[in-house]
Amino acid sequence: MTQLIRDSYRYRELIWALAIKELKIRYKRSVLGFMWALLNPAFMMLVLTLVFSTIMRFAIQHYAIFLLSVLLPWTFFSQSLSYAVESIVTNGDLIKKVAIPKMVFPMAAVVSNIINLLLSLIPLALLVPLLRHPFYWTWFYLPVPLLALAIFTLGMTFFFAAANVYYRDVSHILQVVLSAWFYLTPIIYPLDAIPARYQWILKLNPIIYVINGFRLSVYYGQLPKAPSIVASFVCAFISLFVGFSIFRKYQNNFVFYV
Amino acid sequence: MPSTDPVIRLSNVTQRFRVIHERPDTVRELFSKLFRNRSSYHDFEAVKNVSFDVPHGQAVGIIGRNGSGKSTLLKIIAGVYRPSKGTVTVNGTLAPLIELGAGFHHELTGRENILLNGLLMGYSKRDMMERQQDIIDFADVGEFIDAPVKQYSSGMYMRLAFAVAIEVDPQILVLDEILAVGDMGFQAKCFERIRRFRESGKTILLVTHSMAVVEEHCDRAILIDHGNIIVDGRADEAIAMYRTLLTPEVVAAH
Repeated sequence: MTQLIRDSYRYRELIWALAIKELKIRYKRSVLGFMWALLNPAFMMLVLTLVFSTIMRFAIQHYAIFLLSVLLPWTFFSQSLSYAVESIVTNGDLIKKVAIPKMVFPMAAVVSNIINLLLSLIPLALLVPLLRHPFYWTWFYLPVPLLALAIFTLGMTFFFAAANVYYRDVSHILQVVLSAWFYLTPIIYPLDAIPARYQWILKLNPIIYVINGFRLSVYYGQLPKAPSIVASFVCAFISLFVGFSIFRKYQNNFVFYV
Repeated sequence: MPSTDPVIRLSNVTQRFRVIHERPDTVRELFSKLFRNRSSYHDFEAVKNVSFDVPHGQAVGIIGRNGSGKSTLLKIIAGVYRPSKGTVTVNGTLAPLIELGAGFHHELTGRENILLNGLLMGYSKRDMMERQQDIIDFADVGEFIDAPVKQYSSGMYMRLAFAVAIEVDPQILVLDEILAVGDMGFQAKCFERIRRFRESGKTILLVTHSMAVVEEHCDRAILIDHGNIIVDGRADEAIAMYRTLLTPEVVAAH
């Protein structure tokens, strides 16, 4: 773990440059360029708002905000994983020619997606007053779940990126896992939609605590309870510890398999 | 006294590769392999129990036939491979030019690639900003420096990559058969730069098939064959031995 912190610091400029490269390439040759990082979520929000306020009306007030408050962090999580899972394999040519710590690649994938997540919070913050939903002071609590989510995501990306070097099926399995996980997590539905006797199943879902933190602070204007905050960080650090331990164990052999 | 310590020290280095005949790339293949229970690989040693020291300021040529283990050796020194056995010590910053422009991304501009490539080699952003102008001058790509490198001619691409490696001013320069490219003017410029690099007391390791380059630029040559060091000594000795290796009778005998 100390190695991870040391290397992240030592290679911070490289990780940042790789993350920026990722974003630059994503928006290269488009007229609006980087603006798309803001426009994309803005248009998605517009569509969702229209659909849920006119066509599909739920009992939940301001459903668009209810949904987006957790959909945006979820998108960060799933996008980071989808990018990072291939990150070692796609950079195989580089790994075979230059001695660089392999951890910079999954790291860069997470960093570039954090930037995207932060940018997508801007249109969300604009949508809140537009829908006349109260803008709660608990928005300022968001850095806490953001941190827990970033740590959790990083751990998962280390695991999947390493596994995919050995078996390319992993990137396909990941997509299945992500879509199942999406529906098993209260993103499109509220926590209490699950019958009380099945609630314990939800408690086993490691991402639920951090996801709940986002919804509470943006939609309900509440802070999560202390045990829930602790649980979100415990899950995050277990993920990072397990993911990075596996990654570190195998990283010197990546060069033979990419 | 640091100056008398070798810059590069290899002791009993062996690099083993597992050559997998039919690698199970998918889970289905993996299962069918498991059930058939047949071993489908063999181990192969690209470098066998190699030891040598390179003192500060020496220019060493590594020669040998194709597949003799030269590039593997360079990659071990550059830290790309961790050797299966033995130890490698490198004292000083090392700029590996295993393949020109390995870290380049075709959508990024020349300027952006200079920075990225430098960071990949372990330099800081500040180092690269200080050297940027020298690199651009040496590469001599003109206005193309702000165009994506995919629009470069292969000569421009290569010049920029070489310029980045040499202008970052490493203590050890590792070159793998890359000087064969480029027009005569640029080659002359590269060799001139290598000469200056040597004169400033820095260490060079180069793999090449050009005996003229070894004769002119190397104090010492190491001949490798089948992963073993055959000759480690003066350039002319190693070259003479290499020529006998290449004679048809010897080739046929192998």
